[in-house]
Amino acid sequence: MSKQLTTALLLLICTFPIQGGEQPNRVVSINLCTDQLLLMLADSSQIASVSYLAAESNSSFMAEQAQRHQVNHEKIEELLNLKPNLILASEYSNRALIQLMQKLGHRVEIFPLPADIKGIQTNITRMAQLLKQEERGQQIIKQMNQRIDKIIKQQPAVRPKALFYQPNHYTSGRNTLQDTALRVAGWRNLAAELGIEGYNPIDIEDLLMADPEQLFTSPYAPGSHSLAEQQLSHPALQRVTTGRKMIEIDYKYWICGGPMIADAIEQLHRSLPQ
Amino acid sequence: MKQPLALSQSQLIGTLSAILAALFLLSLFIGSNPIPLFQAARDALMDTPSLIALIFSEVRLPRALIALFTGATLGLCGAAMQGLLRNPLASPGLIGSASGAALGAVCMLYFGMSAITTMALPAGGMIGALAATVLVYLLAGRDAGTLTLILAGVAINALALALISLLLNLAPSPYAVREIVLWMMGSIANHSMADFQIMLPGVLLGWFLLIGTGRSLDALTLGEETTTTMGISLPRLRWRIFIAIALAVGSAISITGSIGFIGLVVPHLLRPLVDHQPSRLLLASAIGGAILLLAADICVRLFPAGTDIKVGVLTSLVGAPFFLYLIIKSRRFVL
Repeated sequence: MSKQLTTALLLLICTFPIQGGEQPNRVVSINLCTDQLLLMLADSSQIASVSYLAAESNSSFMAEQAQRHQVNHEKIEELLNLKPNLILASEYSNRALIQLMQKLGHRVEIFPLPADIKGIQTNITRMAQLLKQEERGQQIIKQMNQRIDKIIKQQPAVRPKALFYQPNHYTSGRNTLQDTALRVAGWRNLAAELGIEGYNPIDIEDLLMADPEQLFTSPYAPGSHSLAEQQLSHPALQRVTTGRKMIEIDYKYWICGGPMIADAIEQLHRSLPQ
Repeated sequence: MKQPLALSQSQLIGTLSAILAALFLLSLFIGSNPIPLFQAARDALMDTPSLIALIFSEVRLPRALIALFTGATLGLCGAAMQGLLRNPLASPGLIGSASGAALGAVCMLYFGMSAITTMALPAGGMIGALAATVLVYLLAGRDAGTLTLILAGVAINALALALISLLLNLAPSPYAVREIVLWMMGSIANHSMADFQIMLPGVLLGWFLLIGTGRSLDALTLGEETTTTMGISLPRLRWRIFIAIALAVGSAISITGSIGFIGLVVPHLLRPLVDHQPSRLLLASAIGGAILLLAADICVRLFPAGTDIKVGVLTSLVGAPFFLYLIIKSRRFVL
């Protein structure tokens, strides 16, 4: 009888949610940005669920890996059923949901959206520490830094003028990943030079007066049609870049900051005029 | 001001044209950057590749031209409709042609048809405008009173706007929902010369069809029977005007979205100046409509940058009180 009780007690202790020093083994991510870092850093067995956006190839860099896991839609009942011992969210996740999960005794870690390489490194390091995968984290940072350093060494002496142009006239000014990537790749970012801060619209006349040599865009929903998206095919845009077509850089490289920024930087570098 | 103003048709048209020309020029001057306009125009004409020429020919000129042609279309079609239906409240906006056109254009644009062929967009607008106009006409009946016609128009307008919202919510593009207001209020900002070229053929064809209708509309003021005895076929006249409106309003609205009240206000303001003669009103209303829309667009651009007020908001702000005034005035006659 007492033997049975001891076994039961032991079993109970083993299945009790692990806190502190142990490796979290039921991690749930509710935001695309934390999804991607989780998929990169964790062992497959640690992941309980990622958000549905992680499995969509237009937005997610890790779509293939995400499809092997259960997806969630950021709904409270779903999350409770998953019995998570660590929940990952971004600063733009549903506040009420996070507060509720915390109230119910769950550990929620909130990640900021990085706007530069340093911010990306900080996020990777922090995620690796939470998952007890420090070595893998350092490896990923090292690889990313090597690729970026290689590009920095090849920056041209005279930087050509470029600008990001998105549907509804949005552009990427200072303190954005696009600004960082453009400058690292060897371009000038005209939007930042015009004093635009963050993601904001630019007047088409201002854009033309700035005289960009190359325009870039990141299609969020390729193949869909709207007046906002039609703005990208305004004939003046092609004429100002003397016929040079707008270059598309997939959104998945920077919808969230991550080591895949190196891919975007390499693409931007390759598109420098020879 | 009750006595008829002593202006001959040529004097009136001359004055209106002068105002229109001045506004058109002013419209070209307004933008986020001060550019030397004449230099820019010369560069554009000489094909000198300069930035100011690019801004002139690809940003400012299409905007001014679209305002001019859309305003003229709405004014002209309002005058023709009021003449045909002998109803002071008939206009493309009120009896559903404009929202029908917007619905047709939305069908074509957001579901990829206009990506296959650019002419799908105005074609959608034309079909939508014709369907809405004819539907209202049939709903209200041939000898409809003002009230019946307006009620039928309200119903069709509501239906078209609901369908526009529904379609834009269902559209695959993530940007579609935010554009509902654009189709409902209308905007002539951010268009290119290509857009102007898309709307031009239908607009010109519609105008052309309306040119010869002035005399028949004059005859119609004497009553339908008198008109028929004068050898004018009423069904033919009706269809001619409906198709003309569909072509012109359908093409213009498919580019700009539904801009309200110009077709209602302009013919009313100008009617006393042309001695209440429909034939003289047509051309005057066309120029008047262009003046009103250009002026509204200039005002919209004078707001601080980034406010992005749609031009239709302004025309409705002017038009709606005028509409109320018309209702009160017509009540005085009825009661």
